[in-house]
Amino acid sequence: MRDEASALYRLMAWLSPAYPVGAFSYSSGIEWAVESGDIGDAPTLGRWLAVILAQGGGLCDAVFFVHAHRAIDANADGALRELAELAAAFAPSKERHLETTAQGRAFIEATRAAWPCAALDRLAATWDGPIAYPVAVAVAAAGHGIAVEPALGAYLHAVTANLISAGVRLIPLGQTDGQRLLAASEPIVATTAARALTTPLDRIGGAAFRADIASMRHETQYTRLFRS
Amino acid sequence: MTTVAAKSETIFAANRAFGSVAFAVKSAGGKTRRAAVHEAGSLRVRCPGAPAAELEAVLINTAGGIAGGDRFALDIAAGRGTRLLVTTAAAEKIYRSLGPDSLIDVRLDVAAGASLAWLPQETILFDRARLARTIEVDLAADARLFLAEAIVFGRTGMGEAVEEGALADRWRVRRDGRLIYAETVRLEGEIAARLAAPPVANGGIAIATVLIAPGDDALVANVRALQDDLAGEVGASAWNGIAVVRLCAADGAALRRDLVHVMTALRGGLPRIWTN
Repeated sequence: MRDEASALYRLMAWLSPAYPVGAFSYSSGIEWAVESGDIGDAPTLGRWLAVILAQGGGLCDAVFFVHAHRAIDANADGALRELAELAAAFAPSKERHLETTAQGRAFIEATRAAWPCAALDRLAATWDGPIAYPVAVAVAAAGHGIAVEPALGAYLHAVTANLISAGVRLIPLGQTDGQRLLAASEPIVATTAARALTTPLDRIGGAAFRADIASMRHETQYTRLFRS
Repeated sequence: MTTVAAKSETIFAANRAFGSVAFAVKSAGGKTRRAAVHEAGSLRVRCPGAPAAELEAVLINTAGGIAGGDRFALDIAAGRGTRLLVTTAAAEKIYRSLGPDSLIDVRLDVAAGASLAWLPQETILFDRARLARTIEVDLAADARLFLAEAIVFGRTGMGEAVEEGALADRWRVRRDGRLIYAETVRLEGEIAARLAAPPVANGGIAIATVLIAPGDDALVANVRALQDDLAGEVGASAWNGIAVVRLCAADGAALRRDLVHVMTALRGGLPRIWTN
């Protein structure tokens, strides 16, 4: 297992907004929810985020993350292939599919170039289809000997911070309001991570129907800043 | 476990309903005909019309509903070159459970050149119902699928909400062996409270998903053109060679009206039994 300082250095690099995956260009349908009036201020953004993190795509991605990390640790290529296929098919709309697979591909390209490891090569050899973002990050973390708990925490932090940043730009909110929301989200992220660590893959699931519809409606939103 | 408790569990298990239908159709002389039918327990399948280019089959649950611990299995096979439409005689009621899940396993197999329309009437969850359902679809490379499933949480006419319960609805769709769509809706615990949240259903209690393969942006445009005529909300999207339509409405009646609009626009017709 990698020492803590080195693990932290890598996680901060990979999950920084500067890492070239284009995270800033995705809103997971929040842009439509702002347009339609579902989200109009910090409290409504906070409540929307809490549900999608704890009961929607956030939780499902966290479960995929944990199982991808375990598949690398266990040298289980069959399980890794099955998981990669399921994670890529689990998107609820065209833009959410783009959001997870385009970031997954970009993450793998950047990481194989700057931080190569055997696990990423194994993933490429095992599965030739599109790769969901949480699977890409989890495989890199496991391949670099970074334990699943800190890696998952860093991943969920990055996703949360990115969606808050989308809300800050769209509503708009002040930067300090955004940070207050990120601070308030910490227990939700912690609970989601804890649940994901104990959820068997066949118990994955969630329910955020109107968040799914928002990502579909976003496809024809008249003026938009985001790709999802 | 005490002897009495063991005995009461045995009696409970013995009283649980089961039902299964395995139904296969074949193509002969340009018409779709029954090829094999196996019925067990309380499930039946009937074809009210003569063999036709598209055969219509109706599933009937003679138990009149599904209770906790009941197990149902449906295995539908549309053989090479067939066109099959399957619906149900009535909405399926999932009763309050004392603990165990009601289990429904659906397998849909659509062979080369075949098309299947899977259009059951809605599933209604009573308060404290527990439903665990799986829908596994296997499509040949050029098979066609039109699938619509609707779920209503509570008997709206009686003002009932699903205060508590459990729904696990697991869909896996494969084309040529490759997974092209997967979702698991999982709503457990305080269902009415969770449905009240804006990202979930904003207080709506009726949802439906329509999945069409192959599906493209033209289908999606047809749904979007209807948007303003619907009582509830709708989203549509096409990717991976499929189109998915998601509906969310205030109650079961509004959802049914919206679903009829969408199905009429996308299929050009409804199963006869839907409009009886």
